[in-house]
Amino acid sequence: MASSCSQALRHHVCKSSRILQEIVIPKKKTWSKEAVLQALASTVNRDPTASDYRFQDDPYLTPKTSSEFKLFSLSQESGRNAAKYFISTYPKYFQKDYAQPHIPCLMPETLEAQIEEVSEAALIERIQMRKVKAAVDLYDQLQQAGTPVSLDVTNQLLDLICFYGDCDPAQENVPEQRNEETEDVQDEPQTKKGRASKASDKLKAAWKENNNAERIFALLSEPNTHSYSALIRGMVKYGAYSKAFSTYTDLLNNQLKADVSTFNALITAAPEVKEKYNEKWELIVDLLKQMAEQKVKPNLLTLNAVLKALRRCGTVGKSQAFPVISEMRALSIDPSLASYNHLLSIFYKPGAPFQGQTDILQEVMNEVSGKSFTPQDPDDAQFFITAVRICLDTKDIEQAYRVHELLGVGENWRLLGNDFQQNIYHARFFSLLCMMENIDVVLKWYRDLVPSVYYPSSNVMRDLLQVLDTDNRLDLIPQIWKDLKQLGHGNRQTLVEELLTLMAREKQNQEVQETFAECALDIKKMYDTGDRGKVMMSWTAGSLSDLVSVLLAAQRRQDAWEILKLFKTHNRVPSEELLDKFLTCIKESGDVNQALELVQISAGFCLPGTPKLIQRVQQEFLLSEQQKSMLSDLEIQTFNSD
Amino acid sequence: MYRRLLININQVRNRLIHTHNTRLTLPSTKCKERESFAPVTWAPCTARPLGTSSISFSENKESSTSLSEDKGKTPEETELETEPVVKPEDRKQVETTKSGKESLLELLGAMKVEVTTVRKIRPSKTPRMSERPDQEPMESTHSMFQRAAAEGSQQHGTLNPALVAAVSAAASTLPNRHQAESELLKQLRKHEAIPDTQRRADIGHIISDMKVGKRPNGRSNVRPTSQIRFDDDGKGYTQDRGITSELDGVRRRKSPFTSKRLNLFAAAAEQDALSDLGPTLWDIDLVNQIVQATNQMPRNGFEEMIQWTKEGRLWQYPINNEAGLEEEASVPFHEHVFLEKHLDESFPQQGPVRHFMELVITGLAKNHHLTVQQKKEHIDWFRDYFRQKEDVLKEAEAYLN
Repeated sequence: MASSCSQALRHHVCKSSRILQEIVIPKKKTWSKEAVLQALASTVNRDPTASDYRFQDDPYLTPKTSSEFKLFSLSQESGRNAAKYFISTYPKYFQKDYAQPHIPCLMPETLEAQIEEVSEAALIERIQMRKVKAAVDLYDQLQQAGTPVSLDVTNQLLDLICFYGDCDPAQENVPEQRNEETEDVQDEPQTKKGRASKASDKLKAAWKENNNAERIFALLSEPNTHSYSALIRGMVKYGAYSKAFSTYTDLLNNQLKADVSTFNALITAAPEVKEKYNEKWELIVDLLKQMAEQKVKPNLLTLNAVLKALRRCGTVGKSQAFPVISEMRALSIDPSLASYNHLLSIFYKPGAPFQGQTDILQEVMNEVSGKSFTPQDPDDAQFFITAVRICLDTKDIEQAYRVHELLGVGENWRLLGNDFQQNIYHARFFSLLCMMENIDVVLKWYRDLVPSVYYPSSNVMRDLLQVLDTDNRLDLIPQIWKDLKQLGHGNRQTLVEELLTLMAREKQNQEVQETFAECALDIKKMYDTGDRGKVMMSWTAGSLSDLVSVLLAAQRRQDAWEILKLFKTHNRVPSEELLDKFLTCIKESGDVNQALELVQISAGFCLPGTPKLIQRVQQEFLLSEQQKSMLSDLEIQTFNSD
Repeated sequence: MYRRLLININQVRNRLIHTHNTRLTLPSTKCKERESFAPVTWAPCTARPLGTSSISFSENKESSTSLSEDKGKTPEETELETEPVVKPEDRKQVETTKSGKESLLELLGAMKVEVTTVRKIRPSKTPRMSERPDQEPMESTHSMFQRAAAEGSQQHGTLNPALVAAVSAAASTLPNRHQAESELLKQLRKHEAIPDTQRRADIGHIISDMKVGKRPNGRSNVRPTSQIRFDDDGKGYTQDRGITSELDGVRRRKSPFTSKRLNLFAAAAEQDALSDLGPTLWDIDLVNQIVQATNQMPRNGFEEMIQWTKEGRLWQYPINNEAGLEEEASVPFHEHVFLEKHLDESFPQQGPVRHFMELVITGLAKNHHLTVQQKKEHIDWFRDYFRQKEDVLKEAEAYLN
């Protein structure tokens, strides 16, 4: 049996080996050390009911509003920074190494230079510690002592000086600056950020004439490509654009070749040195040609620099953007999300009319959808908010869904950027949904996004209320009110008033009216207590009468009566229709005394409709003699006052 | 817009009916109709076949927008577009002329004027437009086309020489004279050849296929996506015929990203041998910027563990059965398994000691808790031990050498 089996097997093997000819041994697969963890992580989906992972340690610190979110995440971050600061500032107290094996990142970094003598090694150490001033001083001392410094080290020094613009770097671990921005997410982030970065650039020292970098560079007997590259990049970074170009000419005169980063820097600077769109573009083409001549291979950053420059070339940008991308494709440089972001910005200027370019977004989405991108350029993180802005501008919900889908592919969620950008993205996406979709779809997304990833602003909530209104699902208002309160918008007067108006506007069925009344009383509490004991909102006649009519519709005459008294305390005047409605309600219960009181209130406000009310009371209620005389007194009073 | 167009057609038609020479004028009327309705027939010479009618249509209604459109175009396109534009204003000018032949000549000649008016005088025409609707009583579309067909059926045969003259006169206004002329003639002959029934169907077809080209007027954001697609990319209307439109969409869709390249770089320019000594400060900064720009917050516990692993704070999760093999990683397995080589001449070649040692190395070979070094030490310990006890062993005749 066994032998026949093995014979058959051998036969089979012979046959198959004849077919296969050779056996291909698979290559050994090497796994990264995070492979298992990555596989495990990919099994975890987002839980729309849970808050962000970083807040899950402590349920007390689960943020409910966007300001809490900001506060908690920043305090977490700053706590970490503070700890790091102390460890680095007082390393002598943190010398005990508990970890076995040794974990370097838990130990204090050495921030003080260890080598005291004047030598090249000391210079290298200072360069590595990024101490610009100390390094320059040491270099000068070495020069004075006549010790030669190698070209590589000098280049590193030049890199350091140019990178920091001849100033000592600011303390690292500074908490994020961006978070000062208000929650007004409807604003344009690009312009805002642009302004912010420009302002910070101004704060940074501009490139100074004859600074240390230029001085040391002049001392070099034979500067090489690296030295020039450092200088040019520094000049571009610190705004000395024309100087960068003259340095580049200098480089060419010295029969040297530039490297790719130099060209990238120059391309970035190109729009700054020319005025007209054509000239800018010609300069860029010229630079690219020189790259080709010097056999410098462009990289992705070159592509992105060109596209970014084209953003400032107006119509030329539109005509040249695609050829540039094709050119880079031919060199097997695939565009990153930053490239697509620049492309979109070229074609869709914020605020400008967007005729006939709807399909550019579609083209871009056709290109990118389903792909997983890795971060390669700092501008990559702008893509999603730009794309969703365009969707919002063009009211293109279809593309918005595609953008959102792309976000779920692979590691693309990382490219959505920081919390602020995430908030903008979700705000735009959600407002577009509110605009274009029906209430069921909107609510589906609402439950999915709020509040686990997105804390809507009051504007967006108003959009949501409008959707409720258009699709006639006002019965959901009490739920929305709960969310509103939790999101910290319970004290936004306009929003609350809109809510009251919507509830008061139409008569719903009994159950809904009942929930409305509960909700309205809850709102009233909000007015009374306010936020942290501070009264934030003040009653208006409109909101009070809305409140009264909601309560009346729910047959809560007693509560409504309480509210009616509030008119007097807050110096507001009720409308005649409201009192009329109230009287109708009183009539149903037949409470004569209250009817009289109502008339008195009306008379107290000197409303012109008081005689009519008196008439109604006289006709519709069974009055005692005393009451009749009181009414006629009132009638005379109002008559006299008229 | 559509009504306005019909009125225009009526104007032309009525005027031409007034002139008696039907035999001569009709082909041209026909031609004009075809020009204005279905400029597709002009396709051979135009780069954008649909552009023409958009101008003539939209002009009637919103000349301001079409004007801006015009100005944006390349000179070449403008020339091609102005060619078939027969403007109602110009038709009014020639209304006084008597014979159809002359009228046609003038009509065609007027197109030359049109080339300039398109650019210069257009704005001044806007006020005049208000007068136009009340000039002619409207006929019903249906009756009009019936008539057109009836008239068309009357004529057959070769082209009239006067018509040829008119065509050449028209062609002389164009830059590429000979080509234009031959094409115009070809077009006219085609008309002669087309049987009436087909022509009638043609017109009906064209009319039914006609879509209203609408300028969005900067308010295109009001447009819901699901609605009928007005063509707002400057082409007037698309020739929307079921699948053709979709094919058109496909054709357009792949266009921008496959556009021609700049041809600045040679594709094979593989130089790029960076003579660098590790990453520079700039490279480090770039990485840092990217990290800052992207979202690095872990979304769940596993991702946090990944982060810690990368930072070196966490013992790495085992990914195979060699985890923790740092010191033995470079030692091949046979060093562990084949330990006979350590039983050299310091041990007896046979006898109980040898036998014992063979058992020892068998045991060691199967022991995975010890490193090779520890195994060697183990064997060395026995070597020393037996050497020390050599006398005793020899006495017992157990140590055979």
